[in-house]
Amino acid sequence: MTAASPTYIKTGRPFWAGRRGTGIAFVAPAIFVMLLVGLFPFLWSVAVSFQDLAGAKQSGNWIGLANYKKLIADARVWAALGRTLLLLAVALPLELILGLLLAMHFQIERPLKRLFVALIVLPAVISPMVAGSIWRLMLDHKFGPFNQIIGWITGEPIVLLWVIKPHLAFWAILIAEVWQWTPFMFIILLAALANVDREQLEAAEIDGAGRFRVFFRIVLPAIMPVLGIAVLIRALDLFRIFDAVWQLTRGGPGNKTETISIFMYIRGFQSFETSYTAALVVILLIVLSLAVTLALKRMEIAR
Amino acid sequence: MIRNLLFTAAFLGLAATAPALAQEDAAATAIAAAKQFSGSSITVVAEAGLQALLDTQYSGPEWEQLTGIKVKVVELPNEEIYPKTILEKQAGTGGYDVLLISPALLADMVNNGAAEPLDDFVKKYGADKEFDDVNPAFKDWMSYNGKTYGLVVDGDVLVTYYRKDLFEDPENQKAFKEKYSYDLAAPKTYKEFGDIACFLTEKYQPKIYGAGVINTGYTHFFFSERFRAHGGKFFDQETMKATVNSEAGVKALTEMVEQNKCMSPGIETWGFAENLSALNAGEIAMTISWPPLGRWTQGVNIEDKALSWVPKTVVADKIGYAINPGGHPQLASGFLSGVSPDSKNKEAAYLYAQWMHSKSQSLKNVMRPVGLRDPFRISHYESPEYQNLWGGAKDYLKVLKDGAAAGYADLSVIDTFKYQDSMSRAVNAAIGGEDPQTALNGMAAEWDQITESVGADKQRDAYKVWAAKPTAYRE
Repeated sequence: MTAASPTYIKTGRPFWAGRRGTGIAFVAPAIFVMLLVGLFPFLWSVAVSFQDLAGAKQSGNWIGLANYKKLIADARVWAALGRTLLLLAVALPLELILGLLLAMHFQIERPLKRLFVALIVLPAVISPMVAGSIWRLMLDHKFGPFNQIIGWITGEPIVLLWVIKPHLAFWAILIAEVWQWTPFMFIILLAALANVDREQLEAAEIDGAGRFRVFFRIVLPAIMPVLGIAVLIRALDLFRIFDAVWQLTRGGPGNKTETISIFMYIRGFQSFETSYTAALVVILLIVLSLAVTLALKRMEIAR
Repeated sequence: MIRNLLFTAAFLGLAATAPALAQEDAAATAIAAAKQFSGSSITVVAEAGLQALLDTQYSGPEWEQLTGIKVKVVELPNEEIYPKTILEKQAGTGGYDVLLISPALLADMVNNGAAEPLDDFVKKYGADKEFDDVNPAFKDWMSYNGKTYGLVVDGDVLVTYYRKDLFEDPENQKAFKEKYSYDLAAPKTYKEFGDIACFLTEKYQPKIYGAGVINTGYTHFFFSERFRAHGGKFFDQETMKATVNSEAGVKALTEMVEQNKCMSPGIETWGFAENLSALNAGEIAMTISWPPLGRWTQGVNIEDKALSWVPKTVVADKIGYAINPGGHPQLASGFLSGVSPDSKNKEAAYLYAQWMHSKSQSLKNVMRPVGLRDPFRISHYESPEYQNLWGGAKDYLKVLKDGAAAGYADLSVIDTFKYQDSMSRAVNAAIGGEDPQTALNGMAAEWDQITESVGADKQRDAYKVWAAKPTAYRE
């Protein structure tokens, strides 16, 4: 032991732990980076949303809440938001239920289980843009297998214009989205189910509990934290849905499949209404942050 | 004696070179001047796909060989060219040197400071000496508010292509006349276009359908032409309220939707490629599309690997060409070559644009298998080389020339891109099944919003300038 060591031995803590300033100094770079990456773009968007930046203008004039007023009065925004929420409300439960059923199916050992799991997960590793293109080809009225299969079933050639007719375009997007992202739910829930306490399950079985009772009383509570996070991630993804819609319909026909992300892209990067788009970004960011915080709180994850 | 000989030799030498100097064209001037930038490089914007192959396979390497300037090509999908150019301007990176400008969007490009005035370069390098050769319909594209911002490199005009063998068939002619009380010939009105489509479909389907059209992408061009053919005006010049949902609009859009019923199943999904493929494969009897189809249906200059997707033509020598129904085809898009204000090599960029625009080089370009560059100079229409490419080339070039001379210009005001986008969405909604009047009402409401955001007075000024052009409404 040297003369310098007594402090360390005395407290049993690192030498810097007792010095508040030093601690802050260590944390400061990380906080700075987080603020720079996370908060600065948001604050910048807030500032831009109060201006009239558009086109290639390098500086704007302050126009107060004009962009927010315009946003509230813009029926196209609300329609796009409605469509996004509808898609979320239909796709999310479908992906969850299908993913869960598949995960439960693969809980027991089956022939070629690993191969099938790998095949099922495949769509989730494809780029969403590529997946959208694949589905555009699959749903092609002339060469796509989808219409041909329906034709075989109905017994006569059938021309369904999946990406042209408004009532079909929504389903086309839904099919593509569920196909690609059900595997994400599947793989997460497969891992969660594998960690359910086997002893509890065996005990319930010995006690004569039925399958549904076991599922709702033991399995579901056990996987709930993981399931909650998976649902949250997918809900956020679905709210931001862009790629599949862009590749399949570009928001058309008309605006019939325009989601909020498509709307933002068109307004921000095709029409160059920079400040108007920034106002929408700010509102959505606030709403989504509140929703996520509430969800995490409810799931007791962010304690 | 020796002095006399030397003098005579010098005189003869001058006499021999003088005509060559006098005839030195804009291409030669551009090449000679560009050599001072040898070793540098320029970045050229090109439309992704076949257009870009012109720069990557032909013009780029040739320019480098002639001048020592390397050409880098940035390929952008058609609908991304304008947004990406503006984004580059916003970022101020100088990432692009030579721009590709849709003439209808030139006003927006200039208002956003995204296009460099070229007048000094034009004067310095003599491009204007060849301006008289540019078809007047396209010459107008190059300037805005009295300044030149782009040089035409592609002269687009929509053309009607029809199967002469089917139209001239005596049996068809007799049956058609009996049914419709007029002769079966290239349609003079859009009603006739629909009649012919239905007549031939009834007779030949499912092997051949009466007509094919482009229903996805670029639909605003097709609607704009029909709308004006029915007497439509885009705005009320006094109030600047949109009048696209007028009777003319409803008539034009209803007609488009109704005529689809006499075409191939799935016609609603057809784009440029599907339409071309069907025409080449002999599956449709008539269509309206852009110029390269004349060469492609004939199988001329399409041996390039890049065109391997185009079905081998079975309709060579069977295709007739006509000016679109109504007599005023849309001068749909076209392209100007411009220079970015942020370019670090503006002069070299300009010289490439001048070379591509020049009489001699542009003739080569409009005959290339790839590139989709279409005739825009009087000398192109009159070129013996082009006229002899195939038997019907002379007729084809005449239709292009006359069509352009009588054509409707694309609407060009402030924020044109937004109006075009809104129009395309409304047309697509109607094609998808929405009631045409409802679709047009929605479009008119969007147009009014756009006008309001620009400022009605400001937009009126821009619209007045455009509407005063003879190509606007052809009255």
